[in-house]
Amino acid sequence: MSLWVDKYRPTSLGKLDYHKEQANQLKNLVQCGDFPHLLVYGPSGAGKKTRIMCLLRELYGPGVEKLRIEHQSITAPSKKKIEINSIASNYHLEVNASDAGNSDRVVIQELIKTVAQSQQIQWSSKRNRGDAGVSVDTVVLLTEVDRLTKDAQHALRRTMEKYMSTCRLILCCNSTSKVIGPIRSRCLAVRVPLPSTEEVCSVLNSVCRKEGLLLPGELAKRIAEKSGRNLRKALLMCEACRVQQYPFSAEQDIPDTDWEVYLKETANAIVSQQSPQRLLEVRARLYELLTHCIPPEIIIKGLVAELLSNCDGHLKAEVAQAAAHYEHRLQLGNKAIYHLEAFVAKFMAVYKKFMEDGLDAMMF
Amino acid sequence: MDIRQFFQPKLTANSGAKPKLPKSNSISVNDDSKKKKKSSSKDESSPKAEKPSAKRKKRAVIDSDSEEEKPRKKAQKAPKEPEKSHKPAALVKKDPVHYVSETDSDSDTFESLKKPSKPRENGLSSLKAVGRGKGKPPAVKSPPKPSSAPGKARVKSPVTPTTPKSTPPQSKHTPVSVLDYFGQSSIQRSEKKLVASTKRKAGHDDSQSDEAIAKQLQMDEDMELEKQLHEDEEFARTLAMLDEAPQPKKARRDSGEKPGSPSSPIKSGPSHTASSSHSQPNGKASDSQEAPGPSTKIARSPLKTSSKLALMKKREEEEGARKKDPPKATLIISPKKESPASSSSSRPATQAVTTPKVEKISPKKAESVSPEDSEKKRVNSQAYRNYLNREGPRALGSKEIPEGAENCLEGLTFVVTGVLECMERDEAKSLIERYGGKVTGNVSRKTSYLVLGRDSGASKTEKAQGFGTKILDEDGLLALIRSKPGKKSKYEIAAEAENKISKSRTPEPQRSRPKGSPQKPSPRGKGEGREARKGLSFSQRAASPSPSSSSEASLLWVDKYRPRALKGLIGQQGEQSCANKLLRWLQSWHRHHTGDKKPAARFGKFGGKDDGSGFKAALLSGPPGVGKTTTAALVCEEVGYSYVEMNASCTRSKNSLKVVVAESLNNTSIKNFYAGASQTVSSKHVLIMDEVDGMAGNEDRGGIQEMISLIKQTKIPIIFMCNDRNHQKIRSLANYCFDLRFQRPRVEQIKGAMMSIAFKEGLKVPPPALNEIILASNQDIRQVLHNLSMWSATDKVMTYDQAKADAKNARKDMKMGPFDVCRKVFTSGEETAHMSLIDKSDLFFHDYSLAPLFVQENYLHVRPAAAGGNLKSHLVLLSKTADSICDGDLVDRQIRSRQTWSLLPTQAIYASVLPGELMRGYMNQFPTFPSWLGKFSSTGKHNRIIQELASHMSLRTHSSKQSVNLEYLPYLRSALLRPLESQGAEGAPQAVQFMDDYDLVREDVDNIMEISTWAGRPEPYSKLDPKVKAAFTRAYNKEAHLTPYSLQVVKKGKRGGAEPELGGEEGVQEAQEEEEEEEGVATDAMIKKKKAKVSKDIKQEKAVDSGKGKGKGKGKGKASAKK
Repeated sequence: MSLWVDKYRPTSLGKLDYHKEQANQLKNLVQCGDFPHLLVYGPSGAGKKTRIMCLLRELYGPGVEKLRIEHQSITAPSKKKIEINSIASNYHLEVNASDAGNSDRVVIQELIKTVAQSQQIQWSSKRNRGDAGVSVDTVVLLTEVDRLTKDAQHALRRTMEKYMSTCRLILCCNSTSKVIGPIRSRCLAVRVPLPSTEEVCSVLNSVCRKEGLLLPGELAKRIAEKSGRNLRKALLMCEACRVQQYPFSAEQDIPDTDWEVYLKETANAIVSQQSPQRLLEVRARLYELLTHCIPPEIIIKGLVAELLSNCDGHLKAEVAQAAAHYEHRLQLGNKAIYHLEAFVAKFMAVYKKFMEDGLDAMMF
Repeated sequence: MDIRQFFQPKLTANSGAKPKLPKSNSISVNDDSKKKKKSSSKDESSPKAEKPSAKRKKRAVIDSDSEEEKPRKKAQKAPKEPEKSHKPAALVKKDPVHYVSETDSDSDTFESLKKPSKPRENGLSSLKAVGRGKGKPPAVKSPPKPSSAPGKARVKSPVTPTTPKSTPPQSKHTPVSVLDYFGQSSIQRSEKKLVASTKRKAGHDDSQSDEAIAKQLQMDEDMELEKQLHEDEEFARTLAMLDEAPQPKKARRDSGEKPGSPSSPIKSGPSHTASSSHSQPNGKASDSQEAPGPSTKIARSPLKTSSKLALMKKREEEEGARKKDPPKATLIISPKKESPASSSSSRPATQAVTTPKVEKISPKKAESVSPEDSEKKRVNSQAYRNYLNREGPRALGSKEIPEGAENCLEGLTFVVTGVLECMERDEAKSLIERYGGKVTGNVSRKTSYLVLGRDSGASKTEKAQGFGTKILDEDGLLALIRSKPGKKSKYEIAAEAENKISKSRTPEPQRSRPKGSPQKPSPRGKGEGREARKGLSFSQRAASPSPSSSSEASLLWVDKYRPRALKGLIGQQGEQSCANKLLRWLQSWHRHHTGDKKPAARFGKFGGKDDGSGFKAALLSGPPGVGKTTTAALVCEEVGYSYVEMNASCTRSKNSLKVVVAESLNNTSIKNFYAGASQTVSSKHVLIMDEVDGMAGNEDRGGIQEMISLIKQTKIPIIFMCNDRNHQKIRSLANYCFDLRFQRPRVEQIKGAMMSIAFKEGLKVPPPALNEIILASNQDIRQVLHNLSMWSATDKVMTYDQAKADAKNARKDMKMGPFDVCRKVFTSGEETAHMSLIDKSDLFFHDYSLAPLFVQENYLHVRPAAAGGNLKSHLVLLSKTADSICDGDLVDRQIRSRQTWSLLPTQAIYASVLPGELMRGYMNQFPTFPSWLGKFSSTGKHNRIIQELASHMSLRTHSSKQSVNLEYLPYLRSALLRPLESQGAEGAPQAVQFMDDYDLVREDVDNIMEISTWAGRPEPYSKLDPKVKAAFTRAYNKEAHLTPYSLQVVKKGKRGGAEPELGGEEGVQEAQEEEEEEEGVATDAMIKKKKAKVSKDIKQEKAVDSGKGKGKGKGKGKASAKK
């Protein structure tokens, strides 16, 4: 009784619902027994991870689905102990090095290097056994590579070349912009775009059919749009709709998640009144969002989307520009709240001025 | 400090005075007077008995208050009665009542009776002299006074004697008011002052013993303090009272009239007043102990109290005041008569009485105000709003500041109100102070000028009008400075006088000289006594060096003027001072510890005992430069002990301590050896361990422990000294020591001593400048001396400006807390107006990690002056400030990530100076502590929780932490809760099943609930019926749950019941076997492998197939197997 997303996750390249051409290419790539380092990127909810798991299955067979979680502790040169979780099967190791925060470099240096080196003998013996005719010994799957520090990425460069003979790296990230050039050039980049609305709809439909439900096309489309073509989200929404009301109706209300509701309320609070007191309240709300680990970029994006709908033409440009400005500084700075608050303050000042000027213009 | 102290002298004074009083009565005998005589005769017998009981006196005073109301009523009636002729009758009527009330209150009444009696008598006597001259008014008033305000009269009458010659200030006030308001009277205060002054002088003339004078001075001082306290209270009250416009005005008129009466007494009794007023010069010439300076100052302080009294009385009595006035006038004269006779000691007593009065009266005021409060409040609040919005000076620096003659404003008191056009208020203040004037915060009778600016407070103006204070505008002030002739500072005069004395007198008189001299220089009435004391102490100090001055010429001042006797210590003169405690402790040390061999019995860290007799060592702690070392040395000398001093310059390791100290302590003193006194170990040693907190490093290792063991077996007293008593190193030591903490002496205490040193060195420092210097050094006597000596090297004459500038340079860096920093960053006002850019950025560096957080947290609470109340510009300013703070954050990032600490000043500008500049204004609340810190830590916590959740579910979700948080969690929660909500307890197994599918444990559920609740939104889980929750928990606990990850040991407890056998290696083996039985070989192999890999966590680690059926099957199978 798991959620639909997980229940109907495809497990082989052949069963993928969209980007089938790419799936075929990957299949061909693996078929020849070897493949270069891969850099799989694309927005969240596009199916990167699913695709990678399918690829691994294609490579090693069903044994790759026997996963275990391993808890590793690494001692940094500075005697600092770093605890990190990894997911492993007999054939591959999945690590999210960015979990280690600033010491991710140590994880890359120690963990991956040791894995790549130590398993050599074991797996070479296995190769001698001629197991499945696979020439790649082991695969290390690094997730969220774009959140690695620059230091860690540099540490990765040499490792990738040095142990090319024994292991392959599959890097998974949302955006390549934060991956340094040297790494990008060492990998075969595989972009996994979001499914189109139609593709999302068809996936929703097929899932509902498997569940024995009838999904109106209208609703499917609305869900697809509302989820922003994020398939994971679309499926979760769809299931939430099912819980809320069945049989489905086309005009059914699609429930928002709590944080989205909260963010919208915050935006409304900003628009409804511009004053220092209100700014204080908004600060409290922003803190609430941040303490719930909502990434500041998403907060600012959500705010802008809501705020823009309340703005007039030329104000829109100004606000959007301000948002971009502060979002950029957000990346450069330490404390997200400063920049979010500065954005809100800026908006309040601009908006107030605009409104009052507008009123004056109307009066005279 | 107690009122008690004052009472004793007073009583004596009364007793002395009484014999005279009857005589005066006899002259103007009324029916009343006879009755009074009876009472007075009682009094005469009583005073001696009562003297010791200070409490009684208090009570007496209280009684008098209670009586006051009656008299008031009477007073109102009184005006209607016919005038002179009726006096006696009125008196008769009222007096009986009066007595009755007094008699009710036991023996205490004696006192109260006494007082009223005195004034009356005096008044009668004076009536003859003065009343005739004035004609009707005095006569009319005189009768009611005794009757109408027995309480007040009683209280006041004592006051009158106390007040010293207010001549200089008074004269200013009085002439104006007298002419205007001649007929009316509420003169009491001014007269009182006169009387007091005369008394004082008389005392001086008598050339009493030094000790007496010193005592007196101290008492004065104490009283001044008290008065000040009262003043503050008054302040608050007067604010409220200002609102009652009508009443105060009347009262003021009355007050104005009062001065008239004082004038009359002066005229009538020229001999006394003249003697008092003129005695100053005479005193100088003849005695040289008396200087004009002190007298004026003293006069002022009483004025304050008296003025308050007057106000209150006026309001209360308004009409009755007229009648009372004459008696007062009479009073004036009589005290004068008394004063010469009564010793100076009488003065304190009377003052003591006055102070209580003030207290009592003030409450009355408050009551009276209450009815009109609401209106006042409204007006006040409006005024306050205006105050918040008022602008700064408009034409700053537009007028030329004149160069006045030196000390031209000396003896004048100013109050500045409102906004001056061409200078900031503190500029004005320093301008006035530079020319010897004094600036106070509130208008009182003493105030000579009110400098009025724009938007001034109505209360001050009204008050000033009431007091007849001259009101100046800014130009007037400047003109005053320009026009006033310069004077010789009284300090100089005093110093010269002192000089003369020192020359003329032999060493013995020297002692007395200082007492006189300090009096004069004392700039304020308050500080006077203290300074005098200090001067006293100092003189001794100074006296001893003088003979050998030639040899000491090269010495540092600090050594040159090091106190040579206990009495010379600054700030250690009190009975309970550290020095005295130490002295007593040392004196009794041998009694407690050596003679008998059972000191252990007394040993104890009880600490409850004040004398520290249980301790074998003493620990002196306090800030540097307050005289710890000097105290210790002097105390030893005083007791006649010889001491061995070890300080940080000696090695004090365990071994060296043992060798050096232990041996030297057991030595026979060579002195005794020669004297042939004893061959035994001398007990007259003290070991002084200075700077114990300086014991550090390898050299002194184990030093503290050694010292503690030393304390345990010592045969002589040990004195330790340190600065920070709470230091880690000292704490263990402190347990074994008699704890004496030195406080910083007060400014006045230091100032007295410093003034005389300055004089001895021929350095001319104006007292306000000295104040600055002392404050700048944070009351560090040593540093003050060093600074003085350094400056004296360049120039022997110091001006106020120079001293202020120098003091600023020498100002010790003060550590400010982040709250103060934050406040200072944003608030506009005098203290921040003149800060340079460097000063402002220095604020940031008080704590560069916290300062930006404080600024960011609080900038929203500031109402910027620049916005001028306009919301739009306020928002623009906010936005700019926020931008600047962001810039600061960017710099911060650079600093922290690249260790480029040289960027800190840049951050200071962005994160503190710019926001301060933009938002400078009014802060309407206390700065709040930055919430960022708390939020940051809770963000971290949530982050960890989410990471844990994500890793637990990672086998099913294959997604990152972020997408788990943003996308999965809300739906997971609803999926978990749905069965529980819809089916209640029935749904529990379903929910548990769901948890198993996602490999969640019970804690995870709680975490999910915690993390997905939002402020101001309902939490669905907490809404569940407790029964359902219990069922859910039970359902979860019923089965064993296998997780693909290792659980923390802590969590084992919860699962303990289900799988206790998994505890160790054996457990794993068993589990393995179980599973082998039921499951295929695949899992078995996995378990083995795992065991090999992760040896640490064998017990809990389980492998679970990702396949759907297997995990469940295993779990069930296992559970059933156990059953």
